[in-house]
Amino acid sequence: MVSHVKRNVAISRFWWVLCIASLVGALLVLLSLFGFVFVRGIAAIRPDIFVTVTQGIAGGLANAIAGTMLLVTLAVVLVVPVGIGAAIWVTQFAPDRLRIVVRLSIDVLFGVPSIVVGYFLYVALVETAGWGFSLVAGSLALAIIMLPYVYRAADLAFSAVPRDLVEASVALGARPLTTFLRVAFPWALPGTLTGLLIGVGIALGETAPLIYTAGWSNYMPTLAPTHSPVGYLTYVVWTFINEPFKESHQLAYAAAFLLMIGIFVTNFVARAAVEYWASRTRSHA
Amino acid sequence: MASLTPTVGGSRARRAAVPFSQSPASGTLAGVLTSIAAGICLLLVVLMLLFLLWYTWPAIRYNGLSILSDITWNIGNQYGTGSSIHNGVAAEPGAEFGGLVFLVGTLLSALLAMVFAVPLALGVALTIVYRLPERLRLPTNALIELMAGIPSVVYGLWGTIVLVPWVGNHVAPFVTHHFGFIPFLGGDAGSGNGLFAAAIVLAIMVMPIMVATVRDVLLAQPKSIYEASMALGSTSWQAVTHAVLPSVRTGIVGAILVAFGRALGETMAVLMVAGNAINILPQNIFSPINTIAAVVVSQLESAVSDASGVAQRSLAELALVLFVISLAVNTIARVAIRGQDRSH
Amino acid sequence: MIPTMSPVDMREERAEKLIVQNVDVFYGQFHAMKKASLGVAEHCVMALIGPSGCGKSTFLRALNRMHDLTPGARVEGEVLLDGENIYAPEVDPVSIRHRIGMVFQRPNPFPKTVFENVVYGPRIHGEKRREYLLEVAERSLRSAALWDEVKDRLDRPALQLSGGQQQRLCIARCLAVDPEVILMDEPASALDPIATSKIEDLIEDLKREYTVVIVTHSMQQAARISDHTTFFLSGELIESGTTSDIFTKPKDKRTEDYITGRYG
Repeated sequence: MVSHVKRNVAISRFWWVLCIASLVGALLVLLSLFGFVFVRGIAAIRPDIFVTVTQGIAGGLANAIAGTMLLVTLAVVLVVPVGIGAAIWVTQFAPDRLRIVVRLSIDVLFGVPSIVVGYFLYVALVETAGWGFSLVAGSLALAIIMLPYVYRAADLAFSAVPRDLVEASVALGARPLTTFLRVAFPWALPGTLTGLLIGVGIALGETAPLIYTAGWSNYMPTLAPTHSPVGYLTYVVWTFINEPFKESHQLAYAAAFLLMIGIFVTNFVARAAVEYWASRTRSHA
Repeated sequence: MASLTPTVGGSRARRAAVPFSQSPASGTLAGVLTSIAAGICLLLVVLMLLFLLWYTWPAIRYNGLSILSDITWNIGNQYGTGSSIHNGVAAEPGAEFGGLVFLVGTLLSALLAMVFAVPLALGVALTIVYRLPERLRLPTNALIELMAGIPSVVYGLWGTIVLVPWVGNHVAPFVTHHFGFIPFLGGDAGSGNGLFAAAIVLAIMVMPIMVATVRDVLLAQPKSIYEASMALGSTSWQAVTHAVLPSVRTGIVGAILVAFGRALGETMAVLMVAGNAINILPQNIFSPINTIAAVVVSQLESAVSDASGVAQRSLAELALVLFVISLAVNTIARVAIRGQDRSH
Repeated sequence: MIPTMSPVDMREERAEKLIVQNVDVFYGQFHAMKKASLGVAEHCVMALIGPSGCGKSTFLRALNRMHDLTPGARVEGEVLLDGENIYAPEVDPVSIRHRIGMVFQRPNPFPKTVFENVVYGPRIHGEKRREYLLEVAERSLRSAALWDEVKDRLDRPALQLSGGQQQRLCIARCLAVDPEVILMDEPASALDPIATSKIEDLIEDLKREYTVVIVTHSMQQAARISDHTTFFLSGELIESGTTSDIFTKPKDKRTEDYITGRYG
């Protein structure tokens, strides 16, 4: 028996060392990625980047930055009513049978590759409807990609509203709408917001669907909804690194750097703020 | 922190919410508005599927099964006279739209990525749950989520500048030289852009989400299983592999399938490191490949120049194929997860 | 403190299987068990009683080094199994747990078949022979008074058994490892009265082959099934002796107060 133990303990130790090594390896890769983007990115950031447009192969990122912000903002405007509205319908109003239909659709949307969304909108809007590369097509693409994340967070958040809080409100004679607005919605808000922020983080990083819908523009975006392509940061990262010019590479790193900052702020700072606010304003046993 | 992961575990949380309105939805304005929102979700999915089917129909007729079995992708002679007609659909002469290269590339890159990613993700998740001191847990989880949030293009950027040269200058020559006797590992070392680099990048990309899911699944297990095994005189590794992991097997399989689905649909990072192979199947692990997602992007301009329009529709057909494959993988994942929910 | 024995018990004097010497248990800064010393006689049932939070479970877990699993927990002192200190630096806790087994408060069968649960221990230790495993399974299930109820359902999921059956399964699982000492942490507290009495009968049988240390919050249970009893209060071992002595002639006032129900 004893020799078995010694062997098993040695085996155990061996595997745990491998596991720890894999964590170390993953962190090293992360370090390499971050170091790479940060070091080269920071070196490439000059103040005039923010006010010059891309001018083809070099110049600045003003149009890309503005385009990204515009596309994502419009996408948020589009996705919030649909995603949260649908979640409210499913959790508050829907008969049991119909709930699964919506949830299933959302599950399907989760699995649709973003390139497919982009291509669909390309053939439907850009080509068939003749809108050309446009702000609306691009924002729609982002909105559809964000939709499952926003919906799911809202669904979970509204489903998690504690029953006893609702009953307390109803027992005090509050009308359904009041209970909803004063009890359920505030309770579900942090979770929903988190889902929205996750979606924004994803939207900031999308490229392929935008190539097919927003196209690309070297100029500042106009607010024209159609027939006017829009530039965005991820495009710069993709194409400019393949140009043979050093200035182009610089812009690519700068764009990647700015993207990472934006995503970091969204995913960490903003979500941490939401969690902090949520934990402060409520503590439910 | 709320998890970035969709599906796995989601079905558990689908309790019915407490409705606040006793009246039927049709009555209230809120009910109507929100039901429209819900309808839009459903409509989107149906519309996408139907529209793509309608749009690609000519290409489906023209290509038949060759879209899956043929190697050659050729939009045809745009300046020639006459047309190539299959099943009543006309394309430019010489036009052939075979997607086998892309299909093979998609599947191989995703499978190889999983070969790398699964042990890695399991190792990381197990370390986080069983070996990491308490105070390191939060920062490590934060770092994992950070990795999950990095956009595809940035991974592609890193891949192009850091990974590909390393593979091309060091890994590939080493492997083809010393392990060339193993089939698929010998031969041309290539430039670094190829299947291997693509699989590595994909593995790194899907790993964080798998780690988060496996970690959550492990933490949700009651401690008593681990304790019971230890009390019977097992080592900690035995307790994990013989007692804990088997009881969360389904959740882990689900996580793997979801990650696989993601790897299938990844576009930009693969586009930037895979080598953009056209009309040639990979000879070894370092050969250039192409995936459906990547080729749909890289061939857009060329396809647009096809006067007959069949090229564009064939690209759309490829996108449809990808859609169907992703759907299948995700459905299997969901069925597998539901299996666990029922067996207990 | 070695349990004192009345003249009646002298002729049944047993060797001490477990000797606990000056054991302290800390959870971080919290001093959960203060300098406890105790001797547990072989082939006897030792009951550990006391009000909730008194540390009896903490004490029990120190006997098979389960505190090793809790980060921040520290055990000082010695626990001698047949004269050898299980906390000696060269001793592997894994090997200790072959000899000292544990049954938990809530039944915790693995989500596997009944058979797989019972033979888990031997499997882990490297046993592969199918006939041997079947033998061990039958023997253990019989010893746990569960064989008749499950002999036709060995390949069915263990979680389908009733609570009482699951707990007896856990006992069988523990027996399959062939321990010398069995530690039980309130094994019947999650069970109904009928299942409880089955477990109690089982414990009476078990002491013939094993040494049993059982934590119980029920004094009646302690009085029914144990040979010796130890009383804990607020992390201190107050008194230990034969069960009849403790319950009829307690030496310490605090023990007497607990026995007579003034608190607990």
